Formats: sequence, structure tokens, C-alpha cells
Amino acid sequence: MDFRPLNELERRHLITALRGNADGNRVLLMDRKDTSFAGSAEEVPDEEVINAIKSVPCHY
Amino acid sequence: MASAWKEAIRNAARAARKWADRVSAPVAPVKPIASRATYEPIRKVQLTDEVSRMLFDEYAAHRKTERGTEETGWVLLGIRNGDEAIVMVTLPAGAERDAGESHVQFHAEAQAVASRIVRQSDKRLTLLGVVHTHPGTLRHPSSGDFRGDREWVQNLRGGEGIFGIGTVADNAPKTGVAIHPQPQTLQYADLRFDWYTLAEGEKKYRPVPVELTIGPDLAKPLRKIWTDIENHAVAIDRLARQLTNVQFEIGESLNILVGLAASGQLRACIEGKSVRFFYEVGEDAFQIDLPAGTRPDQGIYLILAELAARG
Repeated sequence: MDFRPLNELERRHLITALRGNADGNRVLLMDRKDTSFAGSAEEVPDEEVINAIKSVPCHY
Repeated sequence: MASAWKEAIRNAARAARKWADRVSAPVAPVKPIASRATYEPIRKVQLTDEVSRMLFDEYAAHRKTERGTEETGWVLLGIRNGDEAIVMVTLPAGAERDAGESHVQFHAEAQAVASRIVRQSDKRLTLLGVVHTHPGTLRHPSSGDFRGDREWVQNLRGGEGIFGIGTVADNAPKTGVAIHPQPQTLQYADLRFDWYTLAEGEKKYRPVPVELTIGPDLAKPLRKIWTDIENHAVAIDRLARQLTNVQFEIGESLNILVGLAASGQLRACIEGKSVRFFYEVGEDAFQIDLPAGTRPDQGIYLILAELAARG
């Protein structure tokens, strides 16, 4: 069992994700290999999705 | 004695420099954790059971129509989760697609409006890729597909997309249940879908294992109003881009709700070619009669102007 201390960046990500989970029901992701914290699922802006849809190329 | 003092001062200066270096030296760049989780290469595609059913049913229905020999397709939305892409939404090519026996270009304006509607409840939904059909037995994307997709995948999360190819199978099992002849292939009756990924910079598509999981197609309720979405897509999209407080309700018809700054809301109820407008405040509702043929965005702006004039 490894008790690796988190570095400052990891600690900030974890706290932000835990707050997002508690306040906004955002999903916490887990690395399946070692169960470590792997971030939180991100919200995607409307315009990003719409731009991608409108740029779908012709398929053959 | 003087040299001893000089040596001591030099040692102190060296120690101070080392300490300062430890405090201020640049550290190796750290990849953001969220990015690492989100942008792993896709190693598995998961389709919800309703998504899978929708693809097979609509492909079979398409083949029975007058345009059944043309290619068709769907845009796929869902969630990128680690090394998985979970497909939860299918948006059809639409009746106004540009298609023939060797190409299909989706009706993107309608799909964009539909994406706004399904993403109201979950902003994590992102564009994962597309499915399209081939009339023959080419069970992988064509070289023409590659020329467009290799540029397009840059618009997707992780710079990678999933691509399904629908074709008619060589033979149909008589068991009445779907089969999984290869990790990247799902076959139901006489139709099959083969799945691939393509990432930015890759020289060819990569077959990707596909699995089923229990879940919805969040765009299924939109099928009964898809014609209305197509008919009014440009106006609805323009309205949603220009006003921030626009919501959608799906019942037997498509309703556009525009929240007002003070109180109440405007409602545009789309039924076929006609649009009815309402002003709702508290428990009161007023129908507003506008000339026949008034577009949803045009009607909303006319009413907003009238309300502004009345103070």
C-alpha cells in the first residue's frame, strides 16, 4: 500500500473535484489500474459541440 | 584571516544561491489530471442498449423507404470517460440531408438544435463521432472518409473520434438475437455495424471493441418532432445563440421557452409549420396572436419589443 503524498497541483485538483461532486454532482474519475484519483468529468461548452456538429464532413 | 573571512562569505553566498534555486527554479511541466483522464486513447466503445436498438431499427426502416439505396447516418453524442467512449445519443441525418448512393452529408443545423435540447440535462455530453452506412460490403471507412475525418477529429475531445460503418451482412442468423462476430462488430438480423477510431495524426482507422450497456438514447423523444426541428432549425439556433435564457420542452410538440428579465416567460409552441405564442406570468397565461407564418425567433422578438414598449 502506497501512501504517496499529493503534490500541490494534485491536491488542488482533488479539492476542486470534491467540491464539484458535492455542489454540482460532477463525476469523480478513478484510475482503474491503481484506484487513484483521475480527475472529474468535464462539462463541455455548447459552442464546442455545435461547432463540431456543423463541421462534420461529407462521408462516402 | 582576511582570506578566511572571504571564504566564509563565499560559502554563505553559495548556500543562499542553492536555497534560492530550490524556491524559484522552474519545475517540470505537470500534465493536468483532468486532461490525462479525459484524453486517453479510446480502447472501447460502449453503446447503450437503446442507442444500439435505434441504429439497427432506423437503418432497417431507412432501407425500406424510397431513399433506401442512399447512404444515411447519425451523429453520436456521449461521454468520454478515461479510455472509453459511452454513446448515449443518436442524432439522425435528417430528411433534409444531402445524400446519394456514394455520399451523405447530414442536416447539421437540425442536429445542432437537437444537441442543445439533449444537453440541457447533462453538459458533459460531447460529440464522440459519426456512423454512416455503405450500400455495398465495404465494412470500413473509405479513403474519402479519411480525407475529411483526419481534419475533423481535431474538433473532438482528445483529438479522437469513433466511426461506425453500417452495411448489409452476408447472412442473417435465425436466432432473432444480435451476435458479436468480432470485437468491433455487432450484427442484428441482416444488418451490421463495424466500429473504428481515428485520432489526430494517425494514418489509418483502428478497429475498436464495442460493447453494450443498459441505458437510454437521450434523443429518442426528439424523433416525433424531428420534422419540426428540421423545419425551424435555423430560426431556433439563431434564437438560442442570441438570447441566454432559452430552454426547450418536449411533449407532443416542441416548445421554446424564453425567460424574461423581470418575471414570467415567453413560449413558442411549434406544431408543424405553425407556431403559437404565449406569455406566461405567475399562474396567468396569455395567447398572443401573430400573423400566420411568423417564425419562432421573429415572433419572440416582436413580443419582446411590445413588452418593452408597454414598460
